[in-house]
Amino acid sequence: MKQIIYQSKQAWASLSKKPGFIATVITTMGVTLGALLCVLTLGYLLLVKPLPYPEHEKLYKVEHIFHDSKDKIQGTAFTYPGLIHLYKNQDVFSKSALIYYGQDVLTNLPSSPRLETGYVTPEWFELLDANMVLGRQFEQSETLNTNNPVAIISHQLWQQTFDGDPNILDKKVDFRGVSFNIVGVLDKSFIEPQIANVGQNTSVWFPFDYNQGKRFEDAWGNILGALTFVGKKNTEFTDSQAAQTLTALVNDKWQQEVAGSAFFAGWRVNMVLTSFHDEILGDSGNTVYLLLAGVLGLVLIATANIANLLMSRTAEQQRQLAIFAALGAKQSQLFKTLLAETGVLMGLSVLFALIIAMSGFYIMQTYLASVLPRVDELAINVVTLTAAVLFALLFALLFAGLSRRIINYKALNSMLQSSGKGTSIQVSKKTRQLLIVSQVAIATVLVFANISLFKEAYNTITETKSYKVEDKLELSVSLSAATRPPREEIISFNNELKEKLAQLPQVESVSLSSSVLRDYSLWALTSTTDDSRHVIYNKDIDDIYFDMLGMELIEGDNFSQADIQDRPRKLIVNDVFAKQLNPSGSAVGMELSNNPEQPSFTIVGVVKGIKLPGQTDIPARVYGPTSRDDNDFTLNLLPGQRLSRDQAASIIKEVSNLYTLFRLEYFEEIEQEQLFTQYAIAVTTAALAVLTFFLAGVGLYGILSYGTHMRRFELGTRMAIGAKRKHLVGLIIKDNVSVVIMGVAASIVILTAIYLAYDELFMTYLASNIVTMFMVTVVAITGLSLFACYWPLRQFINQPAIHSLRNSD
Amino acid sequence: MSDITIKMTGISKVFETEDIETHALKSIDLEIKAGEYVSISGPSGCGKSTLLALLGLLDMPSGGEYYIEGMNVTDLSLDQAAEIRNTKIGFIFQSFNLIDELSVFDNVALPLRYQDKPPSDSELKQRVQECLALVDMTHRMAHKPNQLSGGQQQRVAIARALVANPAILLVDEPTGNLDSKSGDQVMHVLEKLNEQGTTICMVTHDPRYADMAKKQLKLLDGAILTTPKIKAVL
Repeated sequence: MKQIIYQSKQAWASLSKKPGFIATVITTMGVTLGALLCVLTLGYLLLVKPLPYPEHEKLYKVEHIFHDSKDKIQGTAFTYPGLIHLYKNQDVFSKSALIYYGQDVLTNLPSSPRLETGYVTPEWFELLDANMVLGRQFEQSETLNTNNPVAIISHQLWQQTFDGDPNILDKKVDFRGVSFNIVGVLDKSFIEPQIANVGQNTSVWFPFDYNQGKRFEDAWGNILGALTFVGKKNTEFTDSQAAQTLTALVNDKWQQEVAGSAFFAGWRVNMVLTSFHDEILGDSGNTVYLLLAGVLGLVLIATANIANLLMSRTAEQQRQLAIFAALGAKQSQLFKTLLAETGVLMGLSVLFALIIAMSGFYIMQTYLASVLPRVDELAINVVTLTAAVLFALLFALLFAGLSRRIINYKALNSMLQSSGKGTSIQVSKKTRQLLIVSQVAIATVLVFANISLFKEAYNTITETKSYKVEDKLELSVSLSAATRPPREEIISFNNELKEKLAQLPQVESVSLSSSVLRDYSLWALTSTTDDSRHVIYNKDIDDIYFDMLGMELIEGDNFSQADIQDRPRKLIVNDVFAKQLNPSGSAVGMELSNNPEQPSFTIVGVVKGIKLPGQTDIPARVYGPTSRDDNDFTLNLLPGQRLSRDQAASIIKEVSNLYTLFRLEYFEEIEQEQLFTQYAIAVTTAALAVLTFFLAGVGLYGILSYGTHMRRFELGTRMAIGAKRKHLVGLIIKDNVSVVIMGVAASIVILTAIYLAYDELFMTYLASNIVTMFMVTVVAITGLSLFACYWPLRQFINQPAIHSLRNSD
Repeated sequence: MSDITIKMTGISKVFETEDIETHALKSIDLEIKAGEYVSISGPSGCGKSTLLALLGLLDMPSGGEYYIEGMNVTDLSLDQAAEIRNTKIGFIFQSFNLIDELSVFDNVALPLRYQDKPPSDSELKQRVQECLALVDMTHRMAHKPNQLSGGQQQRVAIARALVANPAILLVDEPTGNLDSKSGDQVMHVLEKLNEQGTTICMVTHDPRYADMAKKQLKLLDGAILTTPKIKAVL
């Protein structure tokens, strides 16, 4: 132990004379190992660590899937009565719970925040074994059809919105005109299972009775995406037995209920069980492997860089090592001396790496919570620390071993006798070439992968849109009364609000339609021409909608103002749907029915289809005249103008106290949310590409710089006999070009191997322009290599030849 | 062409570091005529190597003027200096300075390859063979320098210095790294070359070899002590 402390002190004393060297090693290894620790911890969490719920392997989410008569999937969501039927009659799960996910405005706080809400049956918290910091979970007195207005709030809401008020259980929260008694606050340790969306963070939980889908409780033909069923499976059922049993239970009932409907003829319901593990983690395993591959590449580059630096340092230390040898140090003792140095360096690097990893956790939690599951649970844990210690040991041994390899112990003694002439140790040309090949190969693979991913994401982000988002704003209001007013009253409120909004100086026009970017519903329609059945995205709009959004009407007519008032049975379809309905001619004049007992709709116009952010294709859509009783508006502001939430809220209050501002969002913000994955990919890949390029640049410079220094005398000689600068630049490039070519060839081999092993993954992520992207990468890496050839050379060739010849003899 | 090969007037060299100025050479006047064999000698640190570096355009003077065959070479760019070195100056170094990776043939051919218009392969081969014949090394053409003795290496270096038909050979302690027998052989080759008309300027601290030159300059503290007239040989 004493010996170790002594050697570490000596190592530090020797290293501290070279702060630049220490900084380079610690930064390079710290950043890359930090990234590796970060990804490893994430990988552990996503691939290995059990979910934080009792008997988590028995927890399942059940999905309700509609297949049409051609067995095509037409929808994955429950009908309200189907869900209740399942809940009451199933025996596959020992305990099951219903959840309805929503968003609601908390109206009894001045800030009226919009919160994520969940409506659940009492078993939900039992299944998750949720701990409460205050109060209790829901009880049987709050189960179905009890209408007991109570609420449980999240720890975060309690802390942030109610400042951790210890008397919170005496308080109420008002939503949609109902006052709910707070009966419990979830403990900080409660981790909500993200079975609806990644990043789902529910603030308030209510009994299931209060959900907004309840008006569909008898509608067997409507599906609601917010309805969710979870349960703890009995052990006697296998997954497929359970699915079969549930399918029979739900499908039989559904067939009975829709027996009279021609539209659903031949349709069936299929129930699918997905374990919580698969539901929550999805295909995030792929993300982890991709991240791991990328980061390992960086670590390899960094390792090659640092190996070169450390070997060069050993070459510099030859005299000191020779003195040690002369004083009787054995080979193993010299190794220990080297190990003490690399140990100190790697120890410091790993400490820095832990800081980097923690920053990585923070970044992931702040920015990637909606993309990566379970990031809330990220923290330095035993796995991180064990990996850190192992890395420190492994790299210290590796670097010390590489440095020892270049010392010729037998030659050390003679070195002192001959005053250093002729026996100098150096990093061999072969080692240097190997380092260059590995740098170029790894850098090429990584840069290629990253810029290809970047290009895909960038293309999606910058895709030309066939609709306008600039200066557009979505405004929606929600009812803060327990009962819905009569339709006429809502229409009159909407009209008045529309008028007031239109009078605002910053507003150019107001459309009584929801945002072009979201809120499409699904509609079942049958063509009266050929009885073909279609499940189509639908949006109700007013007469100015297309014009305001710059959407091109390519055939027929738009809705008129009279159409909006009278709501005749007219529809406008997009060109994709028009083509489906009539591939060879016009769809205008064709008729569609959604209920055989009512008159059908006539298509009066065809509008050009729009592709929404992040989508790969344009779905079929149909537009009908608005019923004027939806509380959604699209505002077109004058260029550069803004409308504040406060201003909007006060205008709503001026019109009626029954309503609250629910959402006020600029289209550009919505678009950015929808493109979040692409932005995240673009930023990450650009950063990784730059980092790779930088690390590879530093590494290649280090190796080539060492090589050029070794040849200083030769370069001087060549200059003395008349070599011009171009001759020497050419010489160094010629000597290294074959190694760079080998590196590029190796990268092609690696990429081909990846392609052969994971062709699907490869094609998904790197679909377009592979050859162009690869050429760009090769040109960039070659350019970098040429630069790394030239840069160390310039100090010799831009000075009189005597500088290279002096002191080198 | 003027019969004066080298002419230096008032050449000085000052090395400057942060707080010290070292006057390595002080106002050197020097003339070497075509066909002369000049030696420069003096104690260690007197400026011999600096003078040779300036003569060989390996370094730039701090003052004065320098002409080679009537051409002012005082203020050349690095590439212009390289071109003059290539065509007009042949270097012979104390440590031979052959390039280990290249064969004897390629070492000798190197200056020709650096010419603006390199000769054809056959011309190049012929010229290299001629030069190797002059130093009696044709039988070692395919060898690598480390397969040769010191004396042989220096003879190859002489062949390399001659290959581009330079106006002058600049020779730096040619025997410094050789045993006396090899040293004598090399000196003999130089003497023979001079007899055949090659202009030579040699730096040496060995008085025995300095005496072999027909014109001897002595440097002390950066200045030429005397420029003794060549005695008429009776």
